[in-house]
Amino acid sequence: MESLFILVPLATLFVIVAVSIFIWAVRRDQFEDLNHEGERILFEEDDEEFNSSKKSKR
Amino acid sequence: MSSCFHCGDPIPSNLTIESTINGEQRGFCCHGCQAIAEYIEDANLCRYYERREVENINSAQSRIDTDKIFALLDNQDIYNRYVFQEDNRHHIQLSVEGITCSACAWLIEKHLSSLEGVVHVGVNVSSSVASIEWLPDQISIKDVAFALKRIGYASLPYLPGERANSLKQEKKRAIIQLGIAGVGMMQVMMSAVAMYAGDIQGMEDIYRNLLRWTSFFFATPVVFYSASSFFKGAWRDLKTRHFTMDLPVSIGIGLAYFSSVYALLTNGGHVYFDSVTMFTFFLLLGRFLETLARNKEFNDGEDNALQATERKSKNGWEITSVSSLIVGDIIRVKPGETFPVDGYLLNSATQVDESSLTGEYLPVVRNPGDAISAQTVNVDQQVELAVTAAGANTRAAAITRITERAIAEKPKVAIIADAVAHYFVIGVLVTAALTYLGWSYVGNDNAYWIMVSVLVVTCPCALSLATPVALTSATNYLRQVGLLVTRGHTLESLSATNHVVFDKTGTLTQGSFSITQIDVLASSLSEDQVLTIAASLEQHSTHPIAKVFKQFTAMPVNDLRNIIGKGVSGTIDEQLYFLGNKQLAEEAVGHTLSSNVAQGLVLYLCTHQECVARFHLTDQVRKETEKTLKSLRNLGIRVSLLTGDTIGSTKSTFPLEWFDDVEASVSPEGKWEWLKQNSKSHVVMVGDGLNDVPALAGSTTSIAMGSSSDLAKTHSDAILLNSNIALIHKAILKAKKCSRIIKQNLSWALAYNLIMLPAAVAGFVPPWAAAIGMALSSLLVVVNATRLSRDN
Repeated sequence: MESLFILVPLATLFVIVAVSIFIWAVRRDQFEDLNHEGERILFEEDDEEFNSSKKSKR
Repeated sequence: MSSCFHCGDPIPSNLTIESTINGEQRGFCCHGCQAIAEYIEDANLCRYYERREVENINSAQSRIDTDKIFALLDNQDIYNRYVFQEDNRHHIQLSVEGITCSACAWLIEKHLSSLEGVVHVGVNVSSSVASIEWLPDQISIKDVAFALKRIGYASLPYLPGERANSLKQEKKRAIIQLGIAGVGMMQVMMSAVAMYAGDIQGMEDIYRNLLRWTSFFFATPVVFYSASSFFKGAWRDLKTRHFTMDLPVSIGIGLAYFSSVYALLTNGGHVYFDSVTMFTFFLLLGRFLETLARNKEFNDGEDNALQATERKSKNGWEITSVSSLIVGDIIRVKPGETFPVDGYLLNSATQVDESSLTGEYLPVVRNPGDAISAQTVNVDQQVELAVTAAGANTRAAAITRITERAIAEKPKVAIIADAVAHYFVIGVLVTAALTYLGWSYVGNDNAYWIMVSVLVVTCPCALSLATPVALTSATNYLRQVGLLVTRGHTLESLSATNHVVFDKTGTLTQGSFSITQIDVLASSLSEDQVLTIAASLEQHSTHPIAKVFKQFTAMPVNDLRNIIGKGVSGTIDEQLYFLGNKQLAEEAVGHTLSSNVAQGLVLYLCTHQECVARFHLTDQVRKETEKTLKSLRNLGIRVSLLTGDTIGSTKSTFPLEWFDDVEASVSPEGKWEWLKQNSKSHVVMVGDGLNDVPALAGSTTSIAMGSSSDLAKTHSDAILLNSNIALIHKAILKAKKCSRIIKQNLSWALAYNLIMLPAAVAGFVPPWAAAIGMALSSLLVVVNATRLSRDN
């Protein structure tokens, strides 16, 4: 159980790092558009599929 | 009727414009849409059509003359103002017309970034702003704007205004506060679970302390940073001596936190870090979603975009920006353009579409010397205008001010809730203080902890969550079906609705004409032939009526002439024809015509010898109109019609029996007055134009159509995104259900408080039990509210 004295502060450190990254991201305008950014990844995936299927047709 | 593949407008029955897009034959409403779709096909971006969520927004026709506006950027001063320059890269923000969903953003980003010299493209769907970075030695911004136009988007250079900037900063802060509260809550919860388990199983003090310190560490930023807005609100309450929920919330958070810190340091008592963080997070979440919805329709792009006009100078006409115009300047406005400022006509008469100000959708004739208002549209002649007022002095700006006044007079249902909160807060504080004093007096060592229990028990957690969670849930549901709620009181007022007032044009009707009946009077011609003649005469006209004939094939016409305020004339196959109102027809044939024609709008097609045909036109009623009005009346709601049109044209559109009362020929100010006189009750006003704005602001609840002017949208309590008025019925039912659920929630929260309070005052409730009870009662309230997000 003594390991908690290392693990809990370590976990705390991780959280601090994660929150700092979050704040940095907000300041860099990454949360500016809550409608679009979440969907972007779906679009990019489609692109590759789409391009490769087009190529295979030709 | 099939609809246009690109913009979704209906395709006239006898028009065939087709192209093969992505392997399939598709129909279009006009060549503009066809060109855009073909271009998108060529650029290999067809996926756009499969991905977009909303159709029929992005039509090929736009009033913005992109070329002229971007020509302004040739002026170095203006260029430096709008374009940010760094090294050899230039950067601009464009307010883009017609961005509706992520698919548009994808299309624009994909297309523009494929251009040589464009470094970066980012599109913000919420604000319809594209930011573009490019290398000026490889491509000019004009080419970029042109490329944007080719895929169907008109754009304007834009500089964010002060309000937009402050909103942006505010939103960023809110997101960080919410994020920290969320993460903090999760961490504290994990420690709390371990501690509760420890309470049951037994746990060494040293580990308990570790967990306590950990939760202290995570709760502290949540209290001091995330919850700071509650403390600020409480401070404001104390200064103004008007207590809102911010005060007990702050006292609850503050006392629970500091007594937890006290317990931590003295190594005794109970810590409440888990309750504090959870409470803060949920309250912040509700507030954030509410602000988001409210700011959604704030559109900065229109106000702060660069607008161009042509001004007379010594060396002829020069293109200049509207903001630089001063009184006395002379400007030139082409047909189809919006007048940017107030002024009077100089050289020639024209027809002006004043629907944005008066609601009269038929253009009116304005002669030289007549006054013209900003925001109205020039219909048929190129005119010169002497500027009499610009910017904040224009009539459109004056209407905005009327509106602001009306908002100030708006009945606030929220005042009651405020008053209740005020006394509740005082009651809680007095009870807690008396409890502490009482127990200290009898000499109980636990007096402080009993007081904390009292405060935690009465802490308005469930009580203050009861309303917002239900509202958030109902708001989200309504947004999914297409009604955007933008003010906090909307649902509450909707649920009490007993009177709905509709505007006519654009609200109950589609705001576009169609032919209801054709009387062919000349025996030598068929119906098709007269339609062809009419279409040929109207083919170059920008008048709204001309749109009716756009769907029919046109023939070449000689000597085409606009007869202002009356109609058009032209020669087809060596026969001179006139098409226009009765006055024109009578002038043409040289004698009066019989007036036994049905009411409504009638167009005459004549030669000098005879009247060839009559066209009966009417505005198209939305298909859901009748059903909606019926179901509203079935709910016992009074339904009124308030329109700027004449009673005759109203009658020709739909039977007056659909309404409980009808008021025709009303001015914008009149609408407001009428509402004030007739509404001691809860009135919902549904409208779309600038002319409805004062009325929208003066009613208890106002709903604007999705196609409304921006001003109407910003001043409304809710917006019908898809202009489907059937949703109004649905929304009223939902609001009623929402108010039922709020009542259930409030009674539960109150009952809980009333039962637990005496127990806590008596010292029977240890603080930890109070905390668990508080969490459970909040949970019940939240779960009850989620019932609103279901579809019934």
